[in-house]
Amino acid sequence: MKILVPVKQIASLDDQFEMRDDGRDVDEDYLEKDLNEFDHFSVEEALLIKEAAGDGVEVVVAIIGDDDSDDALRTALAKGADRGIRVWDDSLAEADGTSVARILAKVVEREKPDMVFTGAQSSDFGSATTGMALAGLLGWPHAAVVSNLEYKPGASSAKLRRELEGGLEEIMTIRCPAVLSIQLGINQPRYASLRGIKQAKQKPVDELSLDDLGLGASDVEPAFHVRKMYAPERGKAELITGSAAEQAARLAQIIKEIRGM
Amino acid sequence: MIPDHNPQDITRVLFDNFPLWMLVTFYLVAFGAIGVFLYGVWAQIRKYRRGTRSGAWSPFFPRFGTMFARVLDHKTIKRRARAAGAAHQFIFYGFTVLFIGTSIITLDHDITGPITGLHFWHGAFYLFFSLAMDLAGLSLIGGLIYMMYRRGWMKLPRLDYTRPDRSPDEPDYDRSGYRREDWAFLWALILIGVTGYLLEAVRLVWLQNDPAVWDYRWWSPVGALLAHLMKGIGIVPEGAADIRMVLWWTHGILALTFIALVPFTKVKHIFTAMGSLMARDPEAKRRMPTADVEAEKIGFSLLTDFSDKFLVNVDACTKCGRCHEACPANASGYPLSPRDLVLSLRELANDKLSHASMPEGPIEVIGTEVNMIRPETLWSCRTCAACVEICPVGIEHLPMIVQMRRALIEDGNFDTMLQPTLKSLQKSGNSLGENKRKRPRWTQKLDFEIKDARTEPVDVLWYVGDYASFDPRSQKVTITFARILKAAGINFGILYEDEQTAGNDVRRIGEEGLFQALAEANIELLNSCQFKTIVTTDPHTFNTIRNEYPEFGGNYAIEHASSMLERLIREGSIPQPANLDYRVTFHDPCHLGRINGCTEAPRQVLQSMGVDLVELGRTRDNSFCCGAGGGRIWLPDPPELKKPAELRAAEAAEIPGLDVLVVNCPKCLNMLEDGVKGTGNEGNFRVLELTELLAEAMGLDGAQQKGLDEAPETAAVSA
Repeated sequence: MKILVPVKQIASLDDQFEMRDDGRDVDEDYLEKDLNEFDHFSVEEALLIKEAAGDGVEVVVAIIGDDDSDDALRTALAKGADRGIRVWDDSLAEADGTSVARILAKVVEREKPDMVFTGAQSSDFGSATTGMALAGLLGWPHAAVVSNLEYKPGASSAKLRRELEGGLEEIMTIRCPAVLSIQLGINQPRYASLRGIKQAKQKPVDELSLDDLGLGASDVEPAFHVRKMYAPERGKAELITGSAAEQAARLAQIIKEIRGM
Repeated sequence: MIPDHNPQDITRVLFDNFPLWMLVTFYLVAFGAIGVFLYGVWAQIRKYRRGTRSGAWSPFFPRFGTMFARVLDHKTIKRRARAAGAAHQFIFYGFTVLFIGTSIITLDHDITGPITGLHFWHGAFYLFFSLAMDLAGLSLIGGLIYMMYRRGWMKLPRLDYTRPDRSPDEPDYDRSGYRREDWAFLWALILIGVTGYLLEAVRLVWLQNDPAVWDYRWWSPVGALLAHLMKGIGIVPEGAADIRMVLWWTHGILALTFIALVPFTKVKHIFTAMGSLMARDPEAKRRMPTADVEAEKIGFSLLTDFSDKFLVNVDACTKCGRCHEACPANASGYPLSPRDLVLSLRELANDKLSHASMPEGPIEVIGTEVNMIRPETLWSCRTCAACVEICPVGIEHLPMIVQMRRALIEDGNFDTMLQPTLKSLQKSGNSLGENKRKRPRWTQKLDFEIKDARTEPVDVLWYVGDYASFDPRSQKVTITFARILKAAGINFGILYEDEQTAGNDVRRIGEEGLFQALAEANIELLNSCQFKTIVTTDPHTFNTIRNEYPEFGGNYAIEHASSMLERLIREGSIPQPANLDYRVTFHDPCHLGRINGCTEAPRQVLQSMGVDLVELGRTRDNSFCCGAGGGRIWLPDPPELKKPAELRAAEAAEIPGLDVLVVNCPKCLNMLEDGVKGTGNEGNFRVLELTELLAEAMGLDGAQQKGLDEAPETAAVSA
């Protein structure tokens, strides 16, 4: 019995930053790298299933990223995942959700997990495509934004709850194996102490290249290309105080200013 | 002295008129009692040795010497309880003299006499012995009577066994067994003393016709007085002989039972307190225990993780309640009393480690079952070290709590509110969830540049600290301190965005791996800079760099801002400040005053401003924590409980005409401002940092702080 949890190392932004010279991304210096917020929950969900079952469940975390992303992988391992897989090739620098899904599909072929849990989305780009694309490539059922899960290892189906728009929730049964995209708040993720993260260095991590997975650079071509990234100009807000007449006068003044009158 | 008698005849009868069976019985009982005593001692030592080895008793002789001096001078027992300390001293010296005296009889009668024929217990020696024993008895009984008065009538909160960490319906709530033991102990000693005197008196009455006894009766004055009283009520020698037999056995059985019970009752504190005092670590309040973060496990989760020293510690407690009274968590209604923590551990150890064989399986310490320590108890601690400071027998509660917290952190068993803080510390080296780049942003509000100590040599490297860098209220103090340093012509610099928190609270919350990583990174950075001394406004940073970094190879001369300001004023670098017409009081930060002994510098700075300093009820080493320490500033206080800072603000409010509550720590500032608001004292007095008051006296206020006051409005607009 095996659960595969693909995770991502995301970049978070300071409120003051500069753009890269080519204007297509933020200058690396202003980014702080971390394990994707959503993935804390997908890893936790897998660990809870493993712990409830006692023995016999293996949790494998997979990441597509360079040496740098080892930190994120080790955080997941420190929480209690059994081993890791890291896939990297320099051609993946601009990989999008679909390219990542293609790689993950090969990882699934290799690992033959019984379930795949992804985060509902990444907290930097937020495309929410990886899980969906992976399910499509595998021909497995997929459920997005899963907020509650009842699953016994090895069962042929799982019961889950998903959040819909407008405060609605949907309860569904899904055939397994399946790909589930896990929503924030499904559980209370545990803390990985720094000591645990350091000790997780001793856990096995398979480092794979595209070759190892039988893929070539052309298989992982991104479907889109970022042309420009920029910070839109900020709107202004002003709290207008005073009597009704004063407020009206100020309002009129602002309207005139905007209209250039 | 002994004019008419052969000195050999001046002694005391022991077993006269005893038939053989009685003599045999006595020796059987006596050997039995000593046997039970020795077995008990062995069983206790076996219990302690079931903990890990601490090596805390070596080097033996210097440690023994220090302990011996403390036992003789009773300094630790007299602190904040002079009368009880004096009474204990009376009991101690009385008991010791009586014990030595009785041992001398045994030595003369059962050892040197039978073996070498040497008898010395007679003549002048006997008379002095007799006088000393009589006075010792008075000392013992006098001390015991005061202790009874204290326990029975003074109704001291510290002697109240009410537990904050259990509700009355829980099975391990009840401490009345201890109360009964306290009283049994006092009564047993009093009865032994009183029957001793009566026995002495009745012997005098019985032997009144023997001048070798009666003529020397005033060498045992209490006995003689009682003997005259007995004669006065008509007791004759024959009657006295019968009473003597009854009293002799009563006194003897009482005393032997007492000896037999020593290792099993409160009486064992005679030994455990000495053992605990001897093992005392003078650094325990400053430096948390070192740990190998590479090891298989970290922290204490099992009883067998505790060291032999801690197991002796918990057995040394005499429930004097000083920690119970000093603890800010207990005072505010949190489920922690250092005393009850210690007693729970003691009972758990007695229950699990005292038997011939160990129980099967691990003995968990943290949990909700009987005598276990609850996680919420451990999280209530503010690591202010008030308990360690005042414990008269050298119990080190704080390192035990931190060790147990380490196990909780590793296990993820903590308030979920703490997780973002710890993650922020891992990622950005600060506890406020801020980006590293923001750390030096406060410097933009200055009208001068602070040197970058990473790139150029400075005299003074200013370690700013987390709250001082990010907290908007503390930033004002930080800016003020920068301006004072500039005005005093100091060549100083900061570490800009490379500074990370020094880790005092990280270590005390129990995240040892993270603390060590921070310490190593900070030390590497500091070692790459050129400076002579370090200064910080934060007592937590001060403590950790001063006392905890040396363990990781960081040895620096560091000053707290208050000491530096005092020095600069004394040396004239800061011109004599103007007099301020304020009535102020001073709140000693735990990590500065109690933990590092820096209590006078801030007061001298206040003195230089000519303010009217009125001390709080609890000052210096007895300061009452604001509640922020040990990572508690990161955890929310439940609204139904009083905050320690509110208790402190109320204490300050009792000072009539108070203008300013002066603090000297970024966290105290944050907490006590809230405390003053929470107690409705906002309009009555202000909370100011020492630095701010000095800036006012130096005439440095307002004008040059560009844009500082506009800052909140700017923030509102962009939000």
